[in-house]
Amino acid sequence: MSAGLNNLRHIVVLMMENRSFDHMLGSLRAVNPQIDGINDQLSNPDATGAIVKPQPLADYQGQLDTDPDTHFAAVDLQIFGGNTDPNRLANMQGFVKSYFNQNGDLRHSQQIMYYFKSHDLPVLATLALEFAVFNRWFASIPGPTSCNHAFAHYGTSFGRVDMNPRYFNQSVKSIFERLTTANPRHTAKLYYYDTMSSAVDIAILVRNQPELFGTHEEFLEDCRTSNLPDYSFVAPNYCDHDGKRGWEVANDQHPDHNVQAGEIFIASVYNAIKNSPLWLNTALLIVYDEHGGFYDHVVPPACVPDQFTASPTDTGTRMPFAFDRLGVRVPAILISPWIPKGTVVNRVFDHASIPATVSKLFLADYAPVSPRETSADVFIEPSVPHDPSRNLLSLDVMRTDCPDFDV
Amino acid sequence: MTLIHVPRPPQSALNPDRPINALLKAQIEHFHEAEKGLQHQTGICVSAIKTEKEAANYIRAVTEAILKPHAGAIAQRRRRGIEIAAVADEQVERRRATRRRSKKMSTAKTAGRRKN
Repeated sequence: MSAGLNNLRHIVVLMMENRSFDHMLGSLRAVNPQIDGINDQLSNPDATGAIVKPQPLADYQGQLDTDPDTHFAAVDLQIFGGNTDPNRLANMQGFVKSYFNQNGDLRHSQQIMYYFKSHDLPVLATLALEFAVFNRWFASIPGPTSCNHAFAHYGTSFGRVDMNPRYFNQSVKSIFERLTTANPRHTAKLYYYDTMSSAVDIAILVRNQPELFGTHEEFLEDCRTSNLPDYSFVAPNYCDHDGKRGWEVANDQHPDHNVQAGEIFIASVYNAIKNSPLWLNTALLIVYDEHGGFYDHVVPPACVPDQFTASPTDTGTRMPFAFDRLGVRVPAILISPWIPKGTVVNRVFDHASIPATVSKLFLADYAPVSPRETSADVFIEPSVPHDPSRNLLSLDVMRTDCPDFDV
Repeated sequence: MTLIHVPRPPQSALNPDRPINALLKAQIEHFHEAEKGLQHQTGICVSAIKTEKEAANYIRAVTEAILKPHAGAIAQRRRRGIEIAAVADEQVERRRATRRRSKKMSTAKTAGRRKN
């Protein structure tokens, strides 16, 4: 086994909100051509048919007032450009049209094509260049937050494509329950920010308080005291509010929340792990739940269908959905001192890869899982420790050149 | 090792009166659903929630109601956390003291060698 895998004891997943790969990391193609970002050939038509090119003009806040639509029907338009033919092909040509449908403002709708320059995002861009960045990590569903979060926890959304999944009494257990009821028992926690921004995943919160839950303050403390569970899921702050230490700015990067506040949050999670004694034992995955309506140029691939079908009424497209296509591509970065600098991963992943990887690492051959989870690739592969394309923690000597952030 | 500067957002980033986005709207619905099953009701009218500040206050009220029956277990966990932190601090202090002692000794040895 490689030294990296040998030392691995903890997986931490930080899930941010609603930004696409090209929007956040697209400019990195100019720094490392292996990163599949923005190029000169890309464009979208606006509502009049005029060509709109991606431009490096994204701002931290203030451009996206009307939160871009990510409900199933809107994302269908973004991916298929408005083509409703049964034999249609995805072309990623409907992003500007979709945003125009919301606000009716031609000029404003073009801002959905804006992306950040790499130096605008010193935290995310640095981490992507320093560790492993995924060229093909997609949202699990071409739809909104809740059903995508469900895939991260359960490997399925139980047939839901909307914001109202019901997780109670399901045959497939969440990754938290799998770990904490295993024999031998493992540990898992969902760290929400604080009681005023407690959790997108309220169903799990109600059922499992306080066993599975902690606040962000407790996460920092658990890092400091080497008390991290085997698996941690870290949630950002979803709203501006008056917290224990004064006013807290939302740091989830959901439009139109400030992106710099999110950068500080990401850096604080990274620093907490890096400065803890558990740095050599921990892999941190930073991933976004869905693309937030922002342009991305990579066509989401078809995938193994889940055992559910969403009805035409549920999808809002007059077509059923068999969960046989992934959502739009999102930023994803795996961090560990055992990963070679500048790693770029080209295999296909989605959020079902999270429970798949954690289950494989800690529980070996866990069952039952959803068809989507069964077919999802894993981002840490314990069975091929010496293949650097499969085992990203491939270094035999731990890196000592990893960056620090002044937060 | 490189230290990278991370700029802070401007003060204007904070706007608790910002209208709630689609995610927060959905969260409020979920919390409202959860509230129905709780013994303690908040009495807050969810349809009147329009801003992030109001959403946060409602989420806190429901979260605290969810946490209430588990107060004992949470306090125990916190105590355990504090104990672990205290032990960790103690260990760090002990390591520091050992390092200080061994540094002193090696300085004394070096000084001794120099004298010789």
